[in-house]
Amino acid sequence: MPVSRRRFLKASGAVSAATATVTLAQTQGALAADPAFTAQQIAELAPAAAPDLPQIAIVALNRMGYGPRPGDIATFNALGSTPSARLTAYVNQQLSPVDSQDSTCNTKLQNVKLRISYTKNGSPFTEDRTLTSLNKTLAQLWALRSDPAYEERVRPVYEVRLATWLRAVYSKWQLREVMVEFWHNHFNVNAFADQKISATWPLYDKLMRQHWGGNFRTLLEGVAQSIAMQFYLDNASNKTGGPNENYARELFELHTLGSENYFNALYDNWRDVPGATAGQPIGYIDEDVYEAARAFTGWTIADGSWNGSANFPNTGQFTLYANWHDRFQKRVLATELQHDQTPLQDGQKVLNLLAYHPGTARHLCTKLCQRLVADVPPQALIDRAVQAWTANQTKPDQIKQTLKVILLSPEFAESWGQKVKRPFELFAAFLRATQVDFPPGGLFVDDNLSGTVERTGYRLFSWPTPIGHPDTATPWLSSNVMLLRWNILNDMLGRNFWRIPDANPAPFNLRGQIPVSATTSRQIVDFWVNRLLGRTLASNLMSELYDFMSQGSGPDVPPIGDTADLTDRINYLVTLICMTPDFQWR
Amino acid sequence: MNFSRREFAVGCSTAIAALAGGRLGGLVFANPADTTPRDILVIVFLRGGCDSLNFVAPTSDQHYADARPDLRVKDGDPNTDTSSGWQMGNPLAQIDFRFHNKAKPLLELYQSGDLAVVHACGLTNGTRSHFDAMDYIERGTPTNKNTSTGWLTRHLVSIGADNGSATGLPAVAAASNVPTALLGSFEAASMARPTDFKLNSHWKYGSDQREALRKFYSGDTALHGAGLRTLDTIDQLQSRPAPDPDVTYPPEARANGLKDSLRTIAHLIKMDMGLQVATVDYGGWDTHEGQTYVFPNQIESLAYTLQTFYNYLSAYHSRLTVVVMSEFGRRLKENESGGTDHGHGGVMLVLGGGVKGGRMYGNWPGLAQASLDNGVDLAVTTDYRTVLSEILMRRLRNPKLGQVFPGTSTYTPLNLVEGTDQTPDFTAGFGGKVFVPLVTR
Repeated sequence: MPVSRRRFLKASGAVSAATATVTLAQTQGALAADPAFTAQQIAELAPAAAPDLPQIAIVALNRMGYGPRPGDIATFNALGSTPSARLTAYVNQQLSPVDSQDSTCNTKLQNVKLRISYTKNGSPFTEDRTLTSLNKTLAQLWALRSDPAYEERVRPVYEVRLATWLRAVYSKWQLREVMVEFWHNHFNVNAFADQKISATWPLYDKLMRQHWGGNFRTLLEGVAQSIAMQFYLDNASNKTGGPNENYARELFELHTLGSENYFNALYDNWRDVPGATAGQPIGYIDEDVYEAARAFTGWTIADGSWNGSANFPNTGQFTLYANWHDRFQKRVLATELQHDQTPLQDGQKVLNLLAYHPGTARHLCTKLCQRLVADVPPQALIDRAVQAWTANQTKPDQIKQTLKVILLSPEFAESWGQKVKRPFELFAAFLRATQVDFPPGGLFVDDNLSGTVERTGYRLFSWPTPIGHPDTATPWLSSNVMLLRWNILNDMLGRNFWRIPDANPAPFNLRGQIPVSATTSRQIVDFWVNRLLGRTLASNLMSELYDFMSQGSGPDVPPIGDTADLTDRINYLVTLICMTPDFQWR
Repeated sequence: MNFSRREFAVGCSTAIAALAGGRLGGLVFANPADTTPRDILVIVFLRGGCDSLNFVAPTSDQHYADARPDLRVKDGDPNTDTSSGWQMGNPLAQIDFRFHNKAKPLLELYQSGDLAVVHACGLTNGTRSHFDAMDYIERGTPTNKNTSTGWLTRHLVSIGADNGSATGLPAVAAASNVPTALLGSFEAASMARPTDFKLNSHWKYGSDQREALRKFYSGDTALHGAGLRTLDTIDQLQSRPAPDPDVTYPPEARANGLKDSLRTIAHLIKMDMGLQVATVDYGGWDTHEGQTYVFPNQIESLAYTLQTFYNYLSAYHSRLTVVVMSEFGRRLKENESGGTDHGHGGVMLVLGGGVKGGRMYGNWPGLAQASLDNGVDLAVTTDYRTVLSEILMRRLRNPKLGQVFPGTSTYTPLNLVEGTDQTPDFTAGFGGKVFVPLVTR
């Protein structure tokens, strides 16, 4: 008999209350250890009430991307004669993005303007400026730090934010966008934590874009040497004599092995960690973190500061500074690091040990499955992903090979309603499905969009702690966030949200998108439900929508009301459909 | 005004100075199933580093007089001399401690026995950075600012009030972000007024949308449950009348943000929404220069607003505890700009019906140079967590101190509030930063 998750948790004493924040592994471990439940029951662990599985196009477009734009479902369905042929073709396409084929998005990125305003030399200064920092060089971005205007120093973050929204809404290469978001969260940096980070933010974003489907070991080193991570987790000032373990700690706990492989509470001697005496410890303890912190001493950024004997050049370049390096031998994960290695050798050795550790493979594959399939992903799928991850660990397309296994799995195709859209995904999906001119008139007067979405707790590039945004539903389902999920949809209909003058056209022209053949309330509702959800709803729910649209005049006649009233009603019909659970799942 | 993330990131004192208003941080409501009587806890956080030595002043200390030729509270008659403070009974170390001249309402609360003062307390971590200090304090982990939950969140989770399934309104913030103390809370919400918690919609179609949503969210997934709870909360808040009469602040209470935030909290308490925890930010305390122009106004607004708020809630005193705190105190010696720089030891005020008020608590370390922290600042002799742990234990009836303040291993109450001690549970629980909340279905 399938057991509901709630019952499991209630019954499982090891997980006190369904409210505690515990890791997935801890949960699974607790359940497995509980004699009240058999392995079969754990295997049958399933949501009590999963919504019906929609057609594969809906699954793929919502989980490998930010939801369908008009026409996307038809395009997807034309890719093959069977669901699996379509999915295979779509996955293959998405794994090999060609930028030159992304002309709508490219044009948007090129032409969109974001206003910047501040006081310059005593007078007000305002400019509607294109996203000029996205392709600036390190030298150009580094120089921004000395701009007297704070607004200029942080401008690059705002530009990357808007570019991120634009790509989510317009790019054809949706999987890449989902994965770039994934890596930004995995290697989370608060872009506003330090102005050296803000000014050079486009470089950090580029790193994620370059390696989204590449090799994890390569990406890991890129992150380790990035300005953003170096300053966010203080490795830039990590030197022998007073090592700073902040980066090393998160490298183990978040970037690679994960806290499920942290055994400090159980072992107080490295030899006691299972596998350690054979050189293959299954996890890490505090000593590993301390020793790794020593290995990364001397990895820093040349930021013009005093280095003990001179000033570093003020270039923002990653630098290996031997004088700060701890020259003595170290032991990390039961492996000796010889004395008098260079800073690069020591650091790279640690990265190798971590990147190729089986625990890292499992930690990363679990997170990938959690992103792409379900909050609690099936163990068998994780196992197959781990195999692909490990078999390809030195290949340049390791991540893509792993993604392929996950995305072409039956578990991917057959699950629905195991994920709730996070706020960013929800609003991007709304902007996509409604085909709105985004941003209206090609101008962002300010970044009210990100600012408003931030109220839900989704802080694009400014999540305050290194762990990144949670990737399970609960935090995004509090009453406050639920209300914002609904309210922001309605708010977006207004000019005020986009800071558009009253005289300008409304940002959304939803009535104008209805085909002329759809004249009755029923036809109008059917058109929008199909457009937004890609399927119909239970008849009692459809009736609700017909009633909303007809306002008592009956579904099979044209809705009552003048043009202005109909325009309003259709707008609020559309937001209502997007407020339903069916639009909120992914 | 809102304390935006951007301003936080600037990291400069002007950003903190700009926070002169005050804002409602977060509110958390009770789980109705939880019948254990717990106090409503209101935290008023003075952002920017309040000058504790100019607020609750050791007027008879010669080192104090020497270090503060201009910026000190004197021991004359406060009725005729505005530079003299109000003498407090039951001081520490037989020193003539006095409230700032503009804080007379606090003297009244102190003398009525509802207000206690803890001096030389604060963060054991020696940071002088606003942001680090606030982070450490609000995360409740003075050695780790990467902790992904705030101490108040962990308190709520540990009593089962923050599980993403509370009926009623969970938690609220007037600004765009909830405060760090409520970081990671599933239930923290933001609102400027209770009536703000409603579906923003078209005047004509809003009620239709709301009714339709009720049908759409009739189902038994976690998502459906969340939708229904939200609709219920909207209905509850909208159906309850605003308290009458409304609170009336005196003219001395000038900080609009602080007033509005406390009004909102008072309304939610009186509307009986099961409020458990609320936080309010009051900024403008980073007085590096011109302190004599700014500080008295700040103190006066704080004192009068707090007293009015407290008196307005007279029917709730037996289950109300208000804590006033700041990230640190300020340098003993005043600077050349008529201000004070970032210091260390601070002051905490604890107000409520269950408070053994009219007394000062803590250990006065003195201001001789050898006793100062780093030789320049008032030392911290009472960890702020000691004060909060006692309130958690005795007023909020939560013995899970290890979950709320991971790494603590002792419970040493100052005996400043009434209540019963349970056996403290120092198990750290989920104090770490891994954030994989369970999905209940």
